[in-house]
Amino acid sequence: MLFQRCLQLGWWLFAVVLVVPVLAGLLGMLLPAAGYFPALGYHSLSTVAIQALTATPGLGKMVALSVSTALLSALLSLAGCITLLATFFQHRGLHRLQHLLSPVLVIPHAAAAIAVAFLLSPAGWLSRLVAPLFGWELPPAFSVLNDSAGMGMVLAFSLKELPFLLLVSLGILSQPALHYTLTRQVAVAQSLGYHPVTAFLKVVLPVLYPQLRLPLLAVLAYASASVEIPLILGPDNPPTLAVAILHWFNSVDLTDRLQASAGALLQVLTTVAVIALWLAGERMLKPWCRQHITNGMRSTGRRGLPILAGMTLTVFGVAMTAICASLILWSVATFWPYPSVLPDDITTIHWQQGLGQLSGPLANTLVLGAAISLSAIVLVVLALEAGRSGPSPGFRLDSMLFVPLIVPGIAFLYGLVWLAQLVAPKAVWIPVYLSHLVYVMPYVFLSLAVAYRQFDTRYLQVAASLGSSPFRVFCCIRLPMLFAPLMVAFALGLAISFSQYLPTLLAGGGQLATLTTEAVAVSAGNSRRLAAVYVIMQMILPLAGFILAWWLPTLLFNPMIRRRG
Amino acid sequence: MKQPELQLNDVCVYHDSRRLCQISTTVSAGSILTITGPSGTGKSSLLAALAGVLPPVMRMSGQILLGDRDISDVPAHERQLGMLFQDPLLFEHMTVAQNIAFGMSAQAGRDKALLVRRMLGDVGLEGFCDKPVQTLSGGQQARVALLRTLASRPAALLLDEPFSKLDSATRHKTREWVFDQIRSYQLPAVLVTHDEQDSHSAGGQIIGI
Repeated sequence: MLFQRCLQLGWWLFAVVLVVPVLAGLLGMLLPAAGYFPALGYHSLSTVAIQALTATPGLGKMVALSVSTALLSALLSLAGCITLLATFFQHRGLHRLQHLLSPVLVIPHAAAAIAVAFLLSPAGWLSRLVAPLFGWELPPAFSVLNDSAGMGMVLAFSLKELPFLLLVSLGILSQPALHYTLTRQVAVAQSLGYHPVTAFLKVVLPVLYPQLRLPLLAVLAYASASVEIPLILGPDNPPTLAVAILHWFNSVDLTDRLQASAGALLQVLTTVAVIALWLAGERMLKPWCRQHITNGMRSTGRRGLPILAGMTLTVFGVAMTAICASLILWSVATFWPYPSVLPDDITTIHWQQGLGQLSGPLANTLVLGAAISLSAIVLVVLALEAGRSGPSPGFRLDSMLFVPLIVPGIAFLYGLVWLAQLVAPKAVWIPVYLSHLVYVMPYVFLSLAVAYRQFDTRYLQVAASLGSSPFRVFCCIRLPMLFAPLMVAFALGLAISFSQYLPTLLAGGGQLATLTTEAVAVSAGNSRRLAAVYVIMQMILPLAGFILAWWLPTLLFNPMIRRRG
Repeated sequence: MKQPELQLNDVCVYHDSRRLCQISTTVSAGSILTITGPSGTGKSSLLAALAGVLPPVMRMSGQILLGDRDISDVPAHERQLGMLFQDPLLFEHMTVAQNIAFGMSAQAGRDKALLVRRMLGDVGLEGFCDKPVQTLSGGQQARVALLRTLASRPAALLLDEPFSKLDSATRHKTREWVFDQIRSYQLPAVLVTHDEQDSHSAGGQIIGI
């Protein structure tokens, strides 16, 4: 009974950690936005913050930039995802594709942005490669980076979100019942004369899309409000709204705080508007899609989609290869004058210097990540176990999970920090820990929920019928049998925590240096070589976690090994 | 070591508010009650109800008695009802011996290893102690699964189509062996099956639902 109590407690704790910081943070943002900011002498509600915001030059442009880049990058990554799925559905290549793309998923956004900036900068590798064609002796004066339309941002977002959407889709399509039905329905459609690609579009996609909608909205919300990518790749004047808010919050002039809070409110509205626009677009397209499904055409997309899929893969593959190669080259380069394609010589000095400087941040990153990921797993497992045994309390967990993923971080994190400073002015680790946990838990939950759903509960019934208490069943059967997915969830939690930029920066008040905050800081400086070292470390760390997660289950809880030894 | 009889008084299983089945009978020690019927009538749910592992959307009414002990509201792990499914469901993170030892009570103490070896030897599985369960054949796994259940000293057995996934030659042999064990341990048993041969060789009462 004590065990049951703990489970219920875990469930509530999970829900509280997921929702309360977001709500508290939003409240902490709304008060200053409404003119209440005692520290600056504003003790009553007024429109002063909103007036300061509306007086900002270029505000409309900022919002327009946030909206257009978010919609465009979500559209591009969705289109890429659909072309790949339609071309490779029921194809053995799909799983190879999955393995190829998963590492990209765990690369932090900040690392991806810095890497893309490297490649596309005027003195970057791409420019050096094409320099002979144009006869450039000096880096070109124009730049495709930081362009006012934000195309560099869109490219980086799409590259980063495509694998996410694809892996989520594959997860949805691999649910046993759905997989069983869909593969047979596609076979029926083919027997009716539909080309496999068309059959995917007309039979699978209409079933897949509604389930993909929530993750897609999370992508939209993220793209409309994130700061790492626009900060590094986006235009400066004016920047996206989220970046502008970040500047106002960090401004030396404290009165800018009011404007920032009002801006955060506007950011929430902007994100809502982006989602609303997307849903409106969906609704407008729906009748056309309905009619399209039954128009009798049997080879829609038969030629076009495989070509597009090939192009998507090529762009993706070339970009990834070029990014990795250019990062590695920069990290070991000595003197490397423009327009040479390769550096004069190689050296390990940047690595020595970089690793030396990184030892502190690296330790912070690992301690924080391990503590957060472990806490997330404990809470998620308790919540899942509680949800299984007995009727769970009123509302559904699944939709709550998306609360932190859809509410813009920049909107609630400042409010959260403001409130945290009222409670404990000196705390650094606890606010960072909590703000990371908010982002880590949904992913850990989504990843473990699949394993829980696929678990054959008859094992638990057998164990109970052998006289084992629920607690013993949980410890001796459930946990060891879920060891592999638990390790993967742990590695995922680590990777998400590693990649957090804004929560670390804000909740830690800039006092807690992690790999990601240092990498962003260095990338703004002028040592390109050091930045390359930092970014490579950012990519290696989460991958190392996943390799460990795949390797450990072959050693532990595996009688097959003991027999060989 | 004669076991008490298993008595079912007006046991009904409900899915939401729909009644799936109703049963009243007594199974004496060493005899096998066979329950047959088309799929979807709740045969397996009835067994789950007896074992105390009904999913949240289902509930049970009526009374389950083991001798004169009412176990209707006792948690699953305290009912002493051993359960066998179509699949052997051996725990794959344990060896054969660990699987059987998992069923034993804590009191078995140091003799556990010896006891396990003797049980395996008795059924022709000498030297299988340290094997991973995945390396066993279907018939061998079925035998280990029953040994594991017997090791927990159940007061009765619940069998949910336990032979349906075995090939016909193994099925016959395993069935005879399992039924022999039930008789020699003098356990009351409830068997759910589609197979007429099962009910025929069980030799006890047959109830169709």
